[in-house]
Amino acid sequence: MRLQLNAAHANRGEWSLAAEGTFGEGVHLVSGDVGSGKSTLALMMAGLLSHSDGTIVREGIRSSMISLQFPEYHLTGSTVAEECRSWGLNPETILSEIMLLDKQHRAPLTLSRGELKRLHLACVLAKKYDLLLLDEPFSSLDAREKERICRLISQRTSGITVLFTHEQTIFPLVDHLWEIEQNVLIERGELPDALSHWSHAPVLIQKLIASGKRLKNISPSDLQEAVCRT
Amino acid sequence: MIELSGLRYRNIRIDSLTIPPGIISVIGPNGSGKTTLLRLCSGIAVPETGMILINGKPSRETDVGWVNEFPDKNILFSRVSDELASAPRFSHQPCAETDSAVKNIAHQMNIAHLLDRTIKELSGGEKILVALASALVQHPKILVLDEYDSHLDETRCLQIEELIRTSGVPYVIRCTQQMETAARGDLLLVMEDGRVTLSGKPVQVFASLDQTPFYPMSWRCKV
Repeated sequence: MRLQLNAAHANRGEWSLAAEGTFGEGVHLVSGDVGSGKSTLALMMAGLLSHSDGTIVREGIRSSMISLQFPEYHLTGSTVAEECRSWGLNPETILSEIMLLDKQHRAPLTLSRGELKRLHLACVLAKKYDLLLLDEPFSSLDAREKERICRLISQRTSGITVLFTHEQTIFPLVDHLWEIEQNVLIERGELPDALSHWSHAPVLIQKLIASGKRLKNISPSDLQEAVCRT
Repeated sequence: MIELSGLRYRNIRIDSLTIPPGIISVIGPNGSGKTTLLRLCSGIAVPETGMILINGKPSRETDVGWVNEFPDKNILFSRVSDELASAPRFSHQPCAETDSAVKNIAHQMNIAHLLDRTIKELSGGEKILVALASALVQHPKILVLDEYDSHLDETRCLQIEELIRTSGVPYVIRCTQQMETAARGDLLLVMEDGRVTLSGKPVQVFASLDQTPFYPMSWRCKV
């Protein structure tokens, strides 16, 4: 299973993004500055934005899902329970898992943003997709919930998962690193080797590497283990 | 000082709290009432009972800058330059002053290249920057930021913090889910179930949270 970008370009006025590379099974992390084109790339990979040039080849991908940066854009149900049903899911199962069962009759937009994001991610992660694109999945989530979502992502045993995020400290186990720099998608490669070339690395990871710590990966336990080990 | 007394609004219960000038961070689990407290401080919501006074005045009689975490809720106009000019125009500032205020804040925020764009053309992070610039353009007395850092990279966050520190806004109240951001503030409030359960300097408050995921990872890693 793989998604291959062959000189795929997205254009918006004078702005453009060029993407080349193959996304295989595993967890991929894409980082880049504000406005660098992460969401544009996510939309292009999901097939929701047409590319002006090049080709995008999906091999063996039978199902795909994109979680947009703002959960408001996904809403179709007028209550929290209806929202779950609109994804074909049983509200009781989903809502008891994320402790929102007592709010099942509320309108989704009356939830706090963190609760709304929790609801949205629970619906997205309840199903198995071959290609799962997550645009800023950790925004609005509290630290405990970020860790829970990271565990769920790390437990995905098959399929291609791509995270587009500015998160600074809480990550799942990541297999492959990418960055967008000066309108071009750049492949940094497999972790842990890719970490030393990560120009958008969060300050914490930069400092750990600069102080000679050897990181196996970037999940919270990997960071702490690296600190304790050396 | 910001003084909260006998405050009741939905699930918010704060009997007495005094907040000195500075950068105040509010943290807590999802649904604990952080945004509601911020809405009350900004005057968007009015307490059912009790009061909030900012230097002795109610929030609604104070110049407030507000940034919503979902920036589409914040933005009124379709062009970035019009959005930045909205507060000076609504307060009938002369055109020349408005133009120069817009140029200044766009320059300071490093978003001058966005001025001729429409809001539709912006990324999520860029919308937050525009909302923040619009909130700062008229030098508010209190700046209220609802998780502005969720959609920004760390470098941008640090640049903005520096700008906010030097802008002379007396009170900045921000809620955040990035504990490293919270650790950099002057005062830290922890909310749970509508109440402020801990308040104090970040180093003191986080000392009580060291067994929880809310403890800053950089402190745990000692870097």
